[in-house]
Amino acid sequence: MKVKIQHIIAALMGAVSAMSAMADGTTELTVTKTGTHMVKVSLSGFTGEAESVLKFDLSVLGMEITPPDTAEYLVAGHENGRIEGTLSVAGSTRPLWARTYAGAATRSQAHAFADDIVKEIRQTAPIFQGRIAFRLEKGGATEIYVADFDGANPIPLTHDGALVQGPSWAPGGQRLFYTSWKNGATQILEHNLETGMRRVFAGYPGTSFSPEVSPDGQKVAMILSMGGSPNLYVSDIGGGNPRQLTHSRDEDSSPCWSPDSRTICFVCRKGRARLETIGVEGGQPQPVRVGIAGNLTAPDWSPDGKWIAFTSGSGNFSLWVMPAGGGVAQQLVEGEDPCWAPNSRTIIFSRRANNKRILCLLDVPTKHVKDVRQLSGSCSEPSWAR
Amino acid sequence: MMKTQNLVATLTLTLGLLAAVTGCQHKPVNTTIIPDLQNKPVANAPSTEAPGTAITPSNPVTSTPEGTAETYGNYTNLFDNPHNDNRDQFKADIVYFDFDSSTIKASEETKLQEVAAYFKGNQKAEALIIEGNCDERGTEKYNLSLGERRALAAREYLVNLGVDSHRIKTVTYGASRPAEPGKGEEHWKKNRRDEFVLITPKQ
Repeated sequence: MKVKIQHIIAALMGAVSAMSAMADGTTELTVTKTGTHMVKVSLSGFTGEAESVLKFDLSVLGMEITPPDTAEYLVAGHENGRIEGTLSVAGSTRPLWARTYAGAATRSQAHAFADDIVKEIRQTAPIFQGRIAFRLEKGGATEIYVADFDGANPIPLTHDGALVQGPSWAPGGQRLFYTSWKNGATQILEHNLETGMRRVFAGYPGTSFSPEVSPDGQKVAMILSMGGSPNLYVSDIGGGNPRQLTHSRDEDSSPCWSPDSRTICFVCRKGRARLETIGVEGGQPQPVRVGIAGNLTAPDWSPDGKWIAFTSGSGNFSLWVMPAGGGVAQQLVEGEDPCWAPNSRTIIFSRRANNKRILCLLDVPTKHVKDVRQLSGSCSEPSWAR
Repeated sequence: MMKTQNLVATLTLTLGLLAAVTGCQHKPVNTTIIPDLQNKPVANAPSTEAPGTAITPSNPVTSTPEGTAETYGNYTNLFDNPHNDNRDQFKADIVYFDFDSSTIKASEETKLQEVAAYFKGNQKAEALIIEGNCDERGTEKYNLSLGERRALAAREYLVNLGVDSHRIKTVTYGASRPAEPGKGEEHWKKNRRDEFVLITPKQ
Protein backbone atom coordinates (compact mmCIF):
# COMPACT_ATOMS: atom_id res chain seq x y z
CA MET A 1 0.00 0.00 0.00
CA LYS A 2 2.75 2.33 0.94
CA VAL A 3 4.48 1.75 -2.40
CA LYS A 4 1.25 2.42 -4.21
CA ILE A 5 0.76 5.74 -2.46
CA GLN A 6 4.27 6.80 -3.42
CA HIS A 7 3.52 6.03 -7.06
CA ILE A 8 0.33 8.04 -6.94
CA ILE A 9 2.07 10.97 -5.30
CA ALA A 10 4.81 10.84 -7.94
CA ALA A 11 2.19 10.77 -10.68
CA LEU A 12 0.36 13.64 -9.06
CA MET A 13 3.54 15.70 -8.79
CA GLY A 14 4.23 15.01 -12.43
CA ALA A 15 0.77 16.18 -13.41
CA VAL A 16 1.19 19.35 -11.36
CA SER A 17 4.53 20.11 -13.03
CA ALA A 18 3.04 19.41 -16.40
CA MET A 19 0.16 21.70 -15.75
CA SER A 20 2.29 24.50 -14.44
CA ALA A 21 4.46 24.29 -17.52
CA MET A 22 1.48 24.35 -19.81
CA ALA A 23 -0.27 27.25 -18.15
CA ASP A 24 1.78 30.35 -18.80
CA GLY A 25 3.47 32.22 -16.03
CA THR A 26 3.10 29.87 -13.09
CA THR A 27 5.75 30.50 -10.52
CA GLU A 28 7.61 27.20 -10.58
CA LEU A 29 9.04 27.49 -14.07
CA THR A 30 9.10 31.22 -14.59
CA VAL A 31 12.83 31.45 -14.08
CA THR A 32 13.71 28.78 -16.59
CA LYS A 33 11.37 30.21 -19.20
CA THR A 34 12.50 33.78 -19.33
CA GLY A 35 15.72 33.79 -17.34
CA THR A 36 19.23 34.43 -18.39
CA HIS A 37 20.67 31.08 -17.35
CA MET A 38 21.53 28.21 -19.67
CA VAL A 39 18.69 25.70 -19.41
CA LYS A 40 19.87 22.10 -19.03
CA VAL A 41 18.14 19.76 -21.46
CA SER A 42 18.77 16.07 -22.06
CA LEU A 43 18.38 14.56 -25.50
CA SER A 44 17.80 10.86 -26.01
CA GLY A 45 16.82 8.49 -28.77
CA PHE A 46 17.97 10.58 -31.71
CA THR A 47 20.95 9.97 -33.97
CA GLY A 48 22.54 11.45 -37.05
CA GLU A 49 21.08 14.56 -38.63
CA ALA A 50 18.04 14.75 -36.36
CA GLU A 51 20.28 14.73 -33.29
CA SER A 52 22.75 17.27 -34.65
CA VAL A 53 19.99 19.66 -35.72
CA LEU A 54 18.25 19.41 -32.33
CA LYS A 55 21.53 19.98 -30.48
CA PHE A 56 22.38 22.99 -32.61
CA ASP A 57 18.95 24.59 -32.39
CA LEU A 58 18.54 24.18 -28.64
CA SER A 59 22.04 25.58 -28.12
CA VAL A 60 21.12 28.67 -30.17
CA LEU A 61 18.41 29.49 -27.62
CA GLY A 62 20.77 29.14 -24.67
CA MET A 63 20.28 25.51 -23.75
CA GLU A 64 22.94 23.10 -22.66
CA ILE A 65 22.70 19.41 -23.50
CA THR A 66 23.28 17.39 -20.32
CA PRO A 67 22.70 13.83 -19.05
CA PRO A 68 19.10 13.16 -17.93
CA ASP A 69 19.94 13.16 -14.20
CA THR A 70 21.04 16.80 -14.24
CA ALA A 71 18.56 18.06 -16.87
CA GLU A 72 15.68 20.44 -16.21
CA TYR A 73 13.86 19.21 -19.32
CA LEU A 74 14.01 15.91 -21.14
CA VAL A 75 13.67 15.65 -24.90
CA ALA A 76 13.18 12.11 -26.16
CA GLY A 77 12.01 10.33 -29.25
CA HIS A 78 13.23 8.82 -32.48
CA GLU A 79 13.42 9.37 -36.18
CA ASN A 80 12.41 6.92 -38.90
CA GLY A 81 11.26 8.98 -41.84
CA ARG A 82 9.28 11.05 -39.41
CA ILE A 83 10.21 12.44 -36.04
CA GLU A 84 8.28 11.41 -32.98
CA GLY A 85 9.27 13.37 -29.93
CA THR A 86 8.28 14.23 -26.40
CA LEU A 87 9.17 17.05 -24.05
CA SER A 88 9.08 16.44 -20.30
CA VAL A 89 9.89 18.38 -17.19
CA ALA A 90 12.52 16.58 -15.11
CA GLY A 91 10.97 14.50 -12.35
CA SER A 92 7.69 14.18 -14.16
CA THR A 93 6.56 10.79 -15.36
CA ARG A 94 4.37 12.18 -18.09
CA PRO A 95 5.57 14.35 -20.93
CA LEU A 96 4.21 17.84 -21.46
CA TRP A 97 3.39 16.71 -24.95
CA ALA A 98 4.17 14.13 -27.60
CA ARG A 99 4.21 15.17 -31.23
CA THR A 100 4.98 13.73 -34.63
CA TYR A 101 6.63 15.62 -37.48
CA ALA A 102 6.19 14.32 -41.01
CA GLY A 103 6.84 15.56 -44.52
CA ALA A 104 9.84 17.43 -45.95
CA ALA A 105 13.40 16.50 -44.99
CA THR A 106 14.62 15.24 -41.61
CA ARG A 107 16.33 18.60 -41.08
CA SER A 108 13.03 20.44 -41.44
CA GLN A 109 11.22 18.02 -39.15
CA ALA A 110 13.92 18.43 -36.50
CA HIS A 111 13.79 22.24 -36.83
CA ALA A 112 9.99 22.15 -36.35
CA PHE A 113 10.35 19.93 -33.27
CA ALA A 114 13.02 22.28 -31.88
CA ASP A 115 10.72 25.26 -32.51
CA ASP A 116 8.03 23.60 -30.38
CA ILE A 117 10.50 22.79 -27.60
CA VAL A 118 11.81 26.35 -27.52
CA LYS A 119 8.30 27.79 -27.57
CA GLU A 120 7.56 25.77 -24.44
CA ILE A 121 10.77 26.50 -22.55
CA ARG A 122 11.67 30.01 -23.71
CA GLN A 123 8.22 31.29 -24.72
CA THR A 124 9.60 32.75 -27.92
CA ALA A 125 8.46 32.79 -31.53
CA PRO A 126 9.79 30.07 -33.85
CA ILE A 127 12.95 30.89 -35.82
CA PHE A 128 14.46 27.55 -36.83
CA GLN A 129 12.71 27.37 -40.18
CA GLY A 130 13.86 30.87 -41.10
CA ARG A 131 16.19 32.05 -43.80
CA ILE A 132 19.10 34.43 -43.92
CA ALA A 133 20.84 36.33 -46.69
CA PHE A 134 24.46 37.42 -46.50
CA ARG A 135 27.44 38.46 -48.52
CA LEU A 136 30.12 35.88 -49.33
CA GLU A 137 33.57 36.96 -50.45
CA LYS A 138 35.87 34.40 -52.00
CA GLY A 139 38.99 34.94 -54.03
CA GLY A 140 38.21 38.62 -54.46
CA ALA A 141 34.69 38.01 -55.80
CA THR A 142 31.60 38.78 -53.78
CA GLU A 143 28.11 37.34 -54.19
CA ILE A 144 24.85 37.39 -52.25
CA TYR A 145 23.82 34.05 -50.75
CA VAL A 146 20.63 32.80 -49.17
CA ALA A 147 20.70 29.94 -46.65
CA ASP A 148 18.77 28.41 -43.78
CA PHE A 149 19.36 30.34 -40.55
CA ASP A 150 21.99 27.78 -39.49
CA GLY A 151 23.96 28.10 -42.75
CA ALA A 152 22.61 24.88 -44.26
CA ASN A 153 21.43 24.78 -47.88
CA PRO A 154 23.39 27.82 -49.09
CA ILE A 155 22.35 29.11 -52.50
CA PRO A 156 24.31 31.73 -54.45
CA LEU A 157 21.77 34.29 -55.54
CA THR A 158 24.02 36.40 -57.73
CA HIS A 159 26.65 35.37 -60.27
CA ASP A 160 27.80 38.79 -61.34
CA GLY A 161 31.48 38.57 -60.47
CA ALA A 162 31.14 42.15 -59.31
CA LEU A 163 31.23 43.79 -55.92
CA VAL A 164 27.93 43.43 -54.08
CA GLN A 165 26.94 44.39 -50.54
CA GLY A 166 24.28 44.61 -47.88
CA PRO A 167 21.35 42.29 -48.65
CA SER A 168 18.08 43.39 -47.05
CA TRP A 169 14.83 41.42 -47.12
CA ALA A 170 11.44 42.80 -47.94
CA PRO A 171 8.84 41.45 -45.47
CA GLY A 172 7.64 38.02 -46.50
CA GLY A 173 11.04 36.77 -47.59
CA GLN A 174 10.39 36.73 -51.33
CA ARG A 175 12.33 39.82 -52.37
CA LEU A 176 15.82 41.01 -51.58
CA PHE A 177 17.38 44.42 -52.05
CA TYR A 178 21.15 44.89 -52.24
CA THR A 179 23.86 47.24 -53.47
CA SER A 180 25.60 46.16 -56.67
CA TRP A 181 28.58 47.53 -58.59
CA LYS A 182 27.92 45.33 -61.61
CA ASN A 183 27.16 48.30 -63.83
CA GLY A 184 30.16 50.32 -62.69
CA ALA A 185 28.59 52.77 -60.29
CA THR A 186 26.65 51.57 -57.27
CA GLN A 187 23.01 50.77 -57.81
CA ILE A 188 20.38 49.28 -55.56
CA LEU A 189 18.92 46.16 -57.14
CA GLU A 190 15.64 44.51 -56.26
CA HIS A 191 15.71 40.74 -56.71
CA ASN A 192 12.57 38.64 -56.83
CA LEU A 193 13.48 35.23 -55.43
CA GLU A 194 10.50 33.48 -57.00
CA THR A 195 11.21 34.50 -60.56
CA GLY A 196 14.87 35.49 -60.46
CA MET A 197 13.91 38.78 -62.06
CA ARG A 198 15.94 41.78 -61.05
CA ARG A 199 15.45 45.45 -61.58
CA VAL A 200 17.41 48.57 -60.82
CA PHE A 201 15.58 49.97 -57.81
CA ALA A 202 17.74 53.07 -57.40
CA GLY A 203 20.57 54.39 -59.51
CA TYR A 204 20.62 58.11 -58.91
CA PRO A 205 23.40 60.55 -59.81
CA GLY A 206 26.14 60.16 -57.23
CA THR A 207 25.89 56.82 -55.51
CA SER A 208 22.99 54.78 -54.15
CA PHE A 209 23.49 52.16 -51.46
CA SER A 210 22.46 50.51 -48.15
CA PRO A 211 18.75 49.81 -48.82
CA GLU A 212 16.49 48.81 -45.91
CA VAL A 213 12.84 47.93 -46.50
CA SER A 214 10.34 49.11 -43.88
CA PRO A 215 8.61 46.36 -41.83
CA ASP A 216 5.25 47.30 -43.38
CA GLY A 217 6.76 46.76 -46.82
CA GLN A 218 5.75 50.23 -48.02
CA LYS A 219 9.02 52.16 -48.05
CA VAL A 220 12.76 51.82 -48.54
CA ALA A 221 15.36 53.76 -46.57
CA MET A 222 18.71 54.17 -48.31
CA ILE A 223 21.79 56.35 -48.61
CA LEU A 224 22.04 58.58 -51.69
CA SER A 225 24.71 61.17 -52.43
CA MET A 226 22.89 63.15 -55.13
CA GLY A 227 22.40 66.05 -52.72
CA GLY A 228 26.18 66.46 -52.31
CA SER A 229 26.69 64.25 -49.25
CA PRO A 230 25.81 60.66 -48.41
CA ASN A 231 22.48 61.34 -46.69
CA LEU A 232 19.43 59.37 -45.63
CA TYR A 233 16.53 59.15 -48.11
CA VAL A 234 13.22 57.30 -48.09
CA SER A 235 11.36 56.28 -51.23
CA ASP A 236 8.16 54.39 -51.92
CA ILE A 237 8.52 50.63 -52.29
CA GLY A 238 8.15 51.04 -56.05
CA GLY A 239 11.27 53.23 -56.05
CA GLY A 240 9.54 56.51 -56.75
CA ASN A 241 9.31 59.71 -54.75
CA PRO A 242 12.71 59.69 -52.96
CA ARG A 243 12.68 62.20 -50.12
CA GLN A 244 15.81 63.50 -48.42
CA LEU A 245 15.49 63.18 -44.64
CA THR A 246 18.94 64.36 -43.48
CA HIS A 247 21.10 67.20 -44.72
CA SER A 248 24.39 66.99 -42.83
CA ARG A 249 27.65 67.48 -44.69
CA ASP A 250 29.18 64.52 -42.88
CA GLU A 251 28.03 61.15 -44.06
CA ASP A 252 25.03 59.20 -42.78
CA SER A 253 24.87 55.41 -42.95
CA SER A 254 23.27 52.14 -41.84
CA PRO A 255 19.54 52.91 -41.63
CA CYS A 256 17.20 50.52 -39.78
CA TRP A 257 13.47 50.74 -39.10
CA SER A 258 11.33 50.74 -35.99
CA PRO A 259 8.77 47.90 -36.18
CA ASP A 260 5.91 50.38 -36.71
CA SER A 261 7.73 51.74 -39.80
CA ARG A 262 7.47 55.30 -38.49
CA THR A 263 11.02 55.91 -37.26
CA ILE A 264 14.46 55.27 -38.71
CA CYS A 265 17.57 54.79 -36.61
CA PHE A 266 20.78 55.55 -38.48
CA VAL A 267 24.44 56.43 -38.03
CA CYS A 268 25.61 60.00 -38.42
CA ARG A 269 29.01 61.47 -37.76
CA LYS A 270 29.36 64.36 -35.40
CA GLY A 271 33.01 64.14 -34.47
CA ARG A 272 32.58 60.38 -34.34
CA ALA A 273 29.96 57.92 -35.42
CA ARG A 274 26.84 57.94 -33.31
CA LEU A 275 23.21 56.87 -33.50
CA GLU A 276 20.25 59.12 -34.20
CA THR A 277 16.58 58.59 -34.97
CA ILE A 278 14.35 60.51 -37.35
CA GLY A 279 10.66 60.25 -38.25
CA VAL A 280 9.85 58.86 -41.67
CA GLU A 281 8.37 62.24 -42.60
CA GLY A 282 11.63 64.00 -41.69
CA GLY A 283 12.17 66.68 -39.06
CA GLN A 284 14.93 67.15 -36.55
CA PRO A 285 17.03 64.01 -35.91
CA GLN A 286 17.14 62.98 -32.25
CA PRO A 287 20.30 61.58 -30.67
CA VAL A 288 19.97 58.08 -29.22
CA ARG A 289 21.29 58.31 -25.67
CA VAL A 290 23.43 55.25 -25.25
CA GLY A 291 25.50 56.17 -22.21
CA ILE A 292 28.77 54.96 -23.72
CA ALA A 293 31.43 56.57 -25.86
CA GLY A 294 32.93 55.11 -29.00
CA ASN A 295 32.19 54.76 -32.67
CA LEU A 296 28.63 53.46 -32.72
CA THR A 297 27.51 51.92 -36.01
CA ALA A 298 25.33 49.22 -37.62
CA PRO A 299 22.16 49.52 -35.50
CA ASP A 300 19.24 47.09 -35.77
CA TRP A 301 15.86 47.54 -34.08
CA SER A 302 14.30 44.42 -32.56
CA PRO A 303 11.00 43.30 -34.17
CA ASP A 304 9.19 43.69 -30.82
CA GLY A 305 10.32 47.32 -30.71
CA LYS A 306 12.02 47.06 -27.34
CA TRP A 307 15.71 47.01 -28.21
CA ILE A 308 18.31 48.47 -30.50
CA ALA A 309 21.40 46.36 -31.02
CA PHE A 310 24.49 48.06 -32.44
CA THR A 311 28.23 47.80 -32.91
CA SER A 312 30.87 49.75 -31.01
CA GLY A 313 34.54 50.09 -31.79
CA SER A 314 37.06 50.61 -34.56
CA GLY A 315 38.62 47.36 -35.64
CA ASN A 316 37.96 45.52 -32.38
CA PHE A 317 34.20 45.45 -32.50
CA SER A 318 31.71 44.52 -29.83
CA LEU A 319 27.96 44.08 -29.91
CA TRP A 320 25.76 46.09 -27.57
CA VAL A 321 22.07 46.27 -26.86
CA MET A 322 20.06 49.10 -25.37
CA PRO A 323 16.39 49.88 -24.69
CA ALA A 324 14.96 51.49 -27.85
CA GLY A 325 13.62 54.41 -25.86
CA GLY A 326 17.09 55.22 -24.51
CA GLY A 327 18.93 54.01 -21.46
CA VAL A 328 22.01 52.16 -20.43
CA ALA A 329 23.54 49.99 -23.13
CA GLN A 330 24.81 46.54 -22.19
CA GLN A 331 27.83 44.98 -23.80
CA LEU A 332 27.15 41.53 -25.22
CA VAL A 333 30.03 39.84 -27.07
CA GLU A 334 32.74 40.54 -29.63
CA GLY A 335 31.38 40.97 -33.14
CA GLU A 336 29.75 43.41 -35.54
CA ASP A 337 26.73 44.10 -37.70
CA PRO A 338 23.90 42.57 -35.62
CA CYS A 339 20.55 41.56 -37.13
CA TRP A 340 17.64 40.43 -34.95
CA ALA A 341 15.78 37.20 -35.58
CA PRO A 342 11.95 37.38 -35.57
CA ASN A 343 11.92 36.21 -31.92
CA SER A 344 13.58 39.46 -30.72
CA ARG A 345 15.92 37.29 -28.64
CA THR A 346 18.39 35.81 -31.12
CA ILE A 347 20.87 37.96 -33.07
CA ILE A 348 22.88 36.92 -36.09
CA PHE A 349 26.12 38.86 -36.53
CA SER A 350 29.55 38.57 -38.09
CA ARG A 351 32.89 38.07 -36.42
CA ARG A 352 36.41 38.41 -37.80
CA ALA A 353 38.56 35.33 -37.30
CA ASN A 354 41.75 34.14 -39.05
CA ASN A 355 41.55 36.71 -41.85
CA LYS A 356 37.99 35.80 -42.69
CA ARG A 357 34.56 36.66 -41.42
CA ILE A 358 32.08 34.15 -40.11
CA LEU A 359 28.43 34.39 -39.12
CA CYS A 360 27.41 33.64 -35.56
CA LEU A 361 24.17 33.35 -33.62
CA LEU A 362 23.84 35.02 -30.24
CA ASP A 363 21.27 34.27 -27.54
CA VAL A 364 21.06 37.76 -26.05
CA PRO A 365 19.91 36.98 -22.46
CA THR A 366 22.48 34.23 -21.89
CA LYS A 367 25.16 35.73 -24.20
CA HIS A 368 25.68 32.24 -25.59
CA VAL A 369 27.27 32.26 -29.07
CA LYS A 370 26.97 29.52 -31.69
CA ASP A 371 28.82 29.73 -35.01
CA VAL A 372 26.75 29.21 -38.14
CA ARG A 373 27.87 26.29 -40.32
CA GLN A 374 30.98 27.49 -42.10
CA LEU A 375 31.26 27.99 -45.82
CA SER A 376 34.47 28.39 -47.74
CA GLY A 377 34.81 32.13 -48.04
CA SER A 378 34.27 35.14 -45.88
CA CYS A 379 30.64 35.68 -44.77
CA SER A 380 29.31 39.00 -43.53
CA GLU A 381 26.33 41.38 -43.51
CA PRO A 382 23.71 38.85 -42.40
CA SER A 383 20.04 39.74 -42.85
CA TRP A 384 17.29 37.59 -41.34
CA ALA A 385 14.09 37.24 -43.35
CA ARG A 386 11.34 38.50 -41.06
CA MET B 1 -5.51 2.83 7.62
CA MET B 2 -8.59 4.97 7.25
CA LYS B 3 -6.38 7.97 6.83
CA THR B 4 -4.44 6.30 4.03
CA GLN B 5 -7.64 5.39 2.17
CA ASN B 6 -8.84 8.96 2.46
CA LEU B 7 -5.54 10.22 1.11
CA VAL B 8 -5.70 7.80 -1.82
CA ALA B 9 -9.26 8.87 -2.58
CA THR B 10 -8.33 12.53 -2.43
CA LEU B 11 -5.26 12.02 -4.58
CA THR B 12 -7.17 10.03 -7.16
CA LEU B 13 -9.89 12.64 -7.32
CA THR B 14 -7.36 15.46 -7.63
CA LEU B 15 -5.47 13.62 -10.31
CA GLY B 16 -8.66 13.06 -12.27
CA LEU B 17 -9.59 16.72 -11.98
CA LEU B 18 -6.14 17.79 -13.09
CA ALA B 19 -6.34 15.51 -16.08
CA ALA B 20 -9.69 17.00 -16.99
CA VAL B 21 -8.39 20.54 -16.60
CA THR B 22 -5.11 20.17 -18.44
CA GLY B 23 -6.20 17.67 -21.03
CA CYS B 24 -2.71 16.21 -20.91
CA GLN B 25 -3.70 12.73 -19.89
CA HIS B 26 -5.46 11.60 -23.00
CA LYS B 27 -4.17 14.15 -25.46
CA PRO B 28 -3.87 12.48 -28.85
CA VAL B 29 -0.46 12.54 -30.44
CA ASN B 30 -0.58 15.41 -32.92
CA THR B 31 1.25 15.27 -36.17
CA THR B 32 2.76 18.36 -37.70
CA ILE B 33 3.16 18.17 -41.45
CA ILE B 34 6.15 20.25 -42.47
CA PRO B 35 5.85 22.09 -45.75
CA ASP B 36 8.74 21.08 -47.95
CA LEU B 37 10.78 24.27 -47.74
CA GLN B 38 13.87 22.48 -49.03
CA ASN B 39 12.31 22.12 -52.45
CA LYS B 40 10.72 25.53 -52.47
CA PRO B 41 12.28 27.35 -55.38
CA VAL B 42 14.73 30.13 -54.80
CA ALA B 43 15.42 31.55 -58.19
CA ASN B 44 18.93 32.62 -59.01
CA ALA B 45 19.64 35.65 -61.06
CA PRO B 46 18.96 34.52 -64.60
CA SER B 47 22.08 33.88 -66.62
CA THR B 48 20.72 35.75 -69.61
CA GLU B 49 18.82 38.97 -69.71
CA ALA B 50 15.50 38.42 -68.04
CA PRO B 51 12.57 39.76 -70.04
CA GLY B 52 10.57 42.42 -68.29
CA THR B 53 13.29 43.59 -65.98
CA ALA B 54 14.78 47.05 -65.97
CA ILE B 55 18.21 45.61 -66.67
CA THR B 56 18.70 46.84 -70.20
CA PRO B 57 20.28 44.93 -73.11
CA SER B 58 23.40 47.08 -72.80
CA ASN B 59 23.75 45.89 -69.20
CA PRO B 60 22.95 42.19 -69.40
CA VAL B 61 22.97 40.05 -66.30
CA THR B 62 26.06 38.05 -67.00
CA SER B 63 27.13 34.83 -65.39
CA THR B 64 30.61 34.51 -63.95
CA PRO B 65 32.03 31.39 -62.37
CA GLU B 66 32.09 31.50 -58.59
CA GLY B 67 35.29 32.64 -56.97
CA THR B 68 36.49 34.60 -59.97
CA ALA B 69 37.74 37.99 -59.04
CA GLU B 70 36.14 40.81 -60.92
CA THR B 71 38.16 43.23 -62.94
CA TYR B 72 38.80 46.24 -60.78
CA GLY B 73 36.23 48.98 -61.32
CA ASN B 74 34.97 48.53 -64.86
CA TYR B 75 33.20 51.72 -65.89
CA THR B 76 32.46 50.98 -69.55
CA ASN B 77 28.77 50.49 -68.75
CA LEU B 78 28.50 54.05 -67.49
CA PHE B 79 28.94 55.55 -70.93
CA ASP B 80 27.02 55.22 -74.16
CA ASN B 81 30.07 55.13 -76.47
CA PRO B 82 33.19 52.99 -76.09
CA HIS B 83 35.66 54.46 -73.61
CA ASN B 84 39.03 53.74 -72.08
CA ASP B 85 39.46 53.59 -68.31
CA ASN B 86 42.91 55.00 -67.61
CA ARG B 87 43.99 54.49 -64.02
CA ASP B 88 47.69 55.05 -64.65
CA GLN B 89 47.44 58.74 -65.46
CA PHE B 90 46.93 59.79 -61.84
CA LYS B 91 48.76 56.95 -60.13
CA ALA B 92 51.06 59.42 -58.39
CA ASP B 93 48.12 61.52 -57.25
CA ILE B 94 46.37 59.11 -54.90
CA VAL B 95 44.98 61.21 -52.07
CA TYR B 96 45.36 59.77 -48.57
CA PHE B 97 43.25 60.43 -45.49
CA ASP B 98 43.58 60.30 -41.73
CA PHE B 99 41.71 57.59 -39.84
CA ASP B 100 37.93 58.07 -39.92
CA SER B 101 38.33 61.42 -41.65
CA SER B 102 37.27 62.80 -45.02
CA THR B 103 39.19 66.07 -44.69
CA ILE B 104 41.64 66.82 -47.51
CA LYS B 105 45.00 67.21 -45.78
CA ALA B 106 47.36 70.03 -46.77
CA SER B 107 49.89 67.42 -47.90
CA GLU B 108 47.42 66.11 -50.48
CA GLU B 109 46.35 69.40 -52.04
CA THR B 110 49.09 69.56 -54.69
CA LYS B 111 47.94 66.17 -56.00
CA LEU B 112 44.44 67.50 -56.51
CA GLN B 113 45.84 70.61 -58.18
CA GLU B 114 47.75 68.37 -60.61
CA VAL B 115 44.63 66.35 -61.39
CA ALA B 116 42.62 69.52 -62.00
CA ALA B 117 45.31 71.05 -64.24
CA TYR B 118 45.67 67.91 -66.35
CA PHE B 119 41.95 67.37 -66.66
CA LYS B 120 41.20 70.95 -67.68
CA GLY B 121 44.11 71.06 -70.14
CA ASN B 122 43.46 67.76 -71.89
CA GLN B 123 41.03 67.74 -74.81
CA LYS B 124 40.50 64.01 -74.60
CA ALA B 125 39.69 64.00 -70.91
CA GLU B 126 35.98 63.36 -71.00
CA ALA B 127 35.19 62.31 -67.46
CA LEU B 128 36.86 61.59 -64.16
CA ILE B 129 35.93 58.83 -61.77
CA ILE B 130 36.90 59.33 -58.12
CA GLU B 131 37.02 56.13 -56.11
CA GLY B 132 36.73 56.50 -52.32
CA ASN B 133 38.22 53.78 -50.10
CA CYS B 134 38.57 53.01 -46.38
CA ASP B 135 40.69 50.86 -44.14
CA GLU B 136 39.07 47.81 -42.55
CA ARG B 137 38.42 49.36 -39.14
CA GLY B 138 34.77 50.18 -39.72
CA THR B 139 31.56 48.22 -40.19
CA GLU B 140 30.73 47.66 -43.85
CA LYS B 141 27.84 50.07 -44.36
CA TYR B 142 29.63 52.76 -42.39
CA ASN B 143 32.67 52.39 -44.63
CA LEU B 144 30.53 52.70 -47.75
CA SER B 145 29.35 56.12 -46.61
CA LEU B 146 32.79 57.20 -45.45
CA GLY B 147 34.35 56.15 -48.78
CA GLU B 148 31.71 58.13 -50.66
CA ARG B 149 32.30 61.17 -48.43
CA ARG B 150 36.04 60.96 -49.20
CA ALA B 151 35.38 60.83 -52.95
CA LEU B 152 33.01 63.79 -52.63
CA ALA B 153 35.62 65.77 -50.68
CA ALA B 154 38.04 65.47 -53.60
CA ARG B 155 35.24 66.29 -56.04
CA GLU B 156 34.42 69.49 -54.13
CA TYR B 157 38.08 70.48 -54.21
CA LEU B 158 38.33 69.92 -57.97
CA VAL B 159 35.11 71.80 -58.66
CA ASN B 160 36.48 74.73 -56.66
CA LEU B 161 39.48 74.65 -59.01
CA GLY B 162 37.16 74.99 -61.98
CA VAL B 163 36.60 71.38 -63.07
CA ASP B 164 33.11 70.85 -64.50
CA SER B 165 31.13 69.04 -61.79
CA HIS B 166 29.09 67.17 -64.39
CA ARG B 167 32.20 65.42 -65.64
CA ILE B 168 33.13 63.96 -62.24
CA LYS B 169 31.59 60.75 -61.00
CA THR B 170 32.14 59.40 -57.49
CA VAL B 171 32.16 55.72 -56.52
CA THR B 172 32.64 54.26 -53.06
CA TYR B 173 34.21 50.87 -52.40
CA GLY B 174 34.14 51.01 -48.61
CA ALA B 175 36.87 48.67 -47.39
CA SER B 176 36.31 46.13 -50.17
CA ARG B 177 39.25 47.23 -52.32
CA PRO B 178 42.28 47.58 -50.08
CA ALA B 179 45.45 48.71 -51.85
CA GLU B 180 47.37 46.67 -49.30
CA PRO B 181 45.66 43.89 -47.43
CA GLY B 182 47.12 43.46 -43.98
CA LYS B 183 46.85 44.75 -40.45
CA GLY B 184 48.54 47.70 -38.86
CA GLU B 185 48.77 51.39 -39.58
CA GLU B 186 51.48 50.92 -42.26
CA HIS B 187 48.87 49.09 -44.36
CA TRP B 188 45.77 50.92 -43.24
CA LYS B 189 47.16 54.34 -44.15
CA LYS B 190 47.58 53.21 -47.77
CA ASN B 191 43.99 52.02 -47.93
CA ARG B 192 42.34 55.25 -46.74
CA ARG B 193 42.45 56.90 -50.15
CA ASP B 194 40.89 58.40 -53.24
CA GLU B 195 42.01 57.07 -56.61
CA PHE B 196 41.34 58.78 -59.93
CA VAL B 197 40.36 57.10 -63.19
CA LEU B 198 40.54 59.13 -66.39
CA ILE B 199 37.86 58.35 -68.96
CA THR B 200 38.78 59.01 -72.60
CA PRO B 201 36.90 58.11 -75.80
CA LYS B 202 38.10 54.96 -77.51
CA GLN B 203 39.74 55.84 -80.82
